[in-house]
Amino acid sequence: MNLAVFAVRRVARLVLSLIAVSIIAFGLLQLAPGSFADISNLAAEESSTVTAEMQQRYGDEVPVWQQYLGFMKGALTWDMGPSYKYTGQNVEDIIATSFPVSATLAVVAVIIALCIAIPVGVFSALRQNTPWDYGSMFAVTIWHSLPPYLVGTFLMLLLSGTWHVLPSRGWSGPENMIMPVIALALGPAAVMTRYVRSSVLETLREEYVTAAFAKGGARRLVIRRYVLRNSLIPLVTVAGPVLANLMTGTVFIEWIFGIPGLGQYFTDAAASRDMPLLMGTTLFFAVILMVTNLVVDLLYGFLDPRIRATAGAR
Amino acid sequence: MTETDRIDPAERPGPPDSSEPAATAGAAQAQSQFRRAWTRFRRNKLALASLVILAALIVVAMIAPLIAPYGFEEPDYENTLAGPGTAGHLLGTDLLGRDLLSRLIYSLRTSFLVGFGAELAALLVAIVIGLMAGYRGGRAEQLLMAVTDVMFAFPTYLFAVLMVAVLGRSVGAVILAIAIASWVNMARLTRAQTLTLMQRDFVEAARAMGAPGVTIAVRYVLPNAVGPLLVAVSFGIPAAITAEAGLALLGLGVQPPTPSLGGMIQDGISYVTSYPNMLVWPAVMLAVVLLAFTWLGDGIRDAFDTTGTRR
Repeated sequence: MNLAVFAVRRVARLVLSLIAVSIIAFGLLQLAPGSFADISNLAAEESSTVTAEMQQRYGDEVPVWQQYLGFMKGALTWDMGPSYKYTGQNVEDIIATSFPVSATLAVVAVIIALCIAIPVGVFSALRQNTPWDYGSMFAVTIWHSLPPYLVGTFLMLLLSGTWHVLPSRGWSGPENMIMPVIALALGPAAVMTRYVRSSVLETLREEYVTAAFAKGGARRLVIRRYVLRNSLIPLVTVAGPVLANLMTGTVFIEWIFGIPGLGQYFTDAAASRDMPLLMGTTLFFAVILMVTNLVVDLLYGFLDPRIRATAGAR
Repeated sequence: MTETDRIDPAERPGPPDSSEPAATAGAAQAQSQFRRAWTRFRRNKLALASLVILAALIVVAMIAPLIAPYGFEEPDYENTLAGPGTAGHLLGTDLLGRDLLSRLIYSLRTSFLVGFGAELAALLVAIVIGLMAGYRGGRAEQLLMAVTDVMFAFPTYLFAVLMVAVLGRSVGAVILAIAIASWVNMARLTRAQTLTLMQRDFVEAARAMGAPGVTIAVRYVLPNAVGPLLVAVSFGIPAAITAEAGLALLGLGVQPPTPSLGGMIQDGISYVTSYPNMLVWPAVMLAVVLLAFTWLGDGIRDAFDTTGTRR
């Protein structure tokens, strides 16, 4: 079984899952008080323009399944119609302008997380059972159990509320990014630090490492060339959970720091029952999550020949 | 390895004692499993302290109306935005002059109610479906697999937010939303445990003696799966509390004026530069609750960890 067949199967499963997610999300929103095409919570003059466009799009009294198909057709052709709340803007435009903001936050957060996780994880493993190891693992436990929004809250309390060195909310300059990315990075950093530590510990016990030391290899060299190289590759596997973690994180972080990202619009859409926007952002989140998981799976299969060999068995 | 991780050789679980009558072995094993776990748990001081703190907070939440100095929506217009230590308001007041200590105490109530409620509901569904999927296979198993596939594709929080949009913002609706978003993993765990336990001799013996499937599942399999489930629950409750506070923070949690930690944090963030006191208390309280649950959960996990190894 080769990688290509594995890839085709995974893509097929991805498409099926996406269809399931869209049906569930659409079905749930149908059950919500104020259904998909209901815009009674809008002001009169706004609602008349939206109503006209929605009628043109979905017609009057269209059965639910046709509304669903209509929306999905729109989603596939990247034309999801007007938002109820942000009148004059189409859902796809909102996604197109807000997603880069969220993506920037997430990417910077991942880089910070890696910069924390790799050195701390490696040092903890090399100095296993020393105060340094216990101390950093204790800190990791703390970061791991506090959600990003709480870390963000504490940062805000300290830096905006007490020392007044950073603006608490807004999105106008680089100073607005500092607290959000730190808050986002600490959770993933905790997960990855633990992972790096145990991975390095495991590699240190491998026979080829013992052999390298026995040959008289210098400690630094052996660690760099044999231990690090072999223990950091599996880090790719945590990318999936980390991404899900980050995606959830951005929803809250954007909300508390007032950042106009995708998560902010999702929350806003849910609160104001802006159904097209809510459907659009939900689907977009799901696609991002699933595609990344797929890429991670394929990448890992590519990096690890053992998985390539057994891919067919799964 | 720390002091608390070490396991006496006597406590190490051996193969099931074959001299014991098979029919009672399952129950006896489940019981001794708890005694061993408690002995180990007691030695973990951090976990023990966390248990005490949580127990105290739970009692405070339960008797909230008796000990809260004010009602949670009782305004004091003379003392709005008062600092900590103001006469009559130990922790200060918010912008309506509502007593922060009282609101904090009532918020704990919401947190624990949703945390325990959602986890209990999720656990009940998970046990029934997980046991059936593991023991019987067939339709329950297929259902579980299909749901798992979809839920993995669905970011949990997005799902919870959608559920709240559908169900509304009552306490029951929030509990239900979080429970529905979180039962799948627990069901998978129950199923995996069931599959392992079914290989054991005492299950085989019970089956040989003609015990009906339900009896075997409930009397022999379930009690022995309690350890891992308890560990999962001890991490699931803080996750539910985090979810509840998160939803409230987004303005999608329990309907105000019922106070909740997330709602108090949301209020506080708006005034963080001018009046950080409103934000400090709910944030610290939430952190204390979550950390105590983490250390408690770590303690329970280590206590039930039969291999005794820890990375």
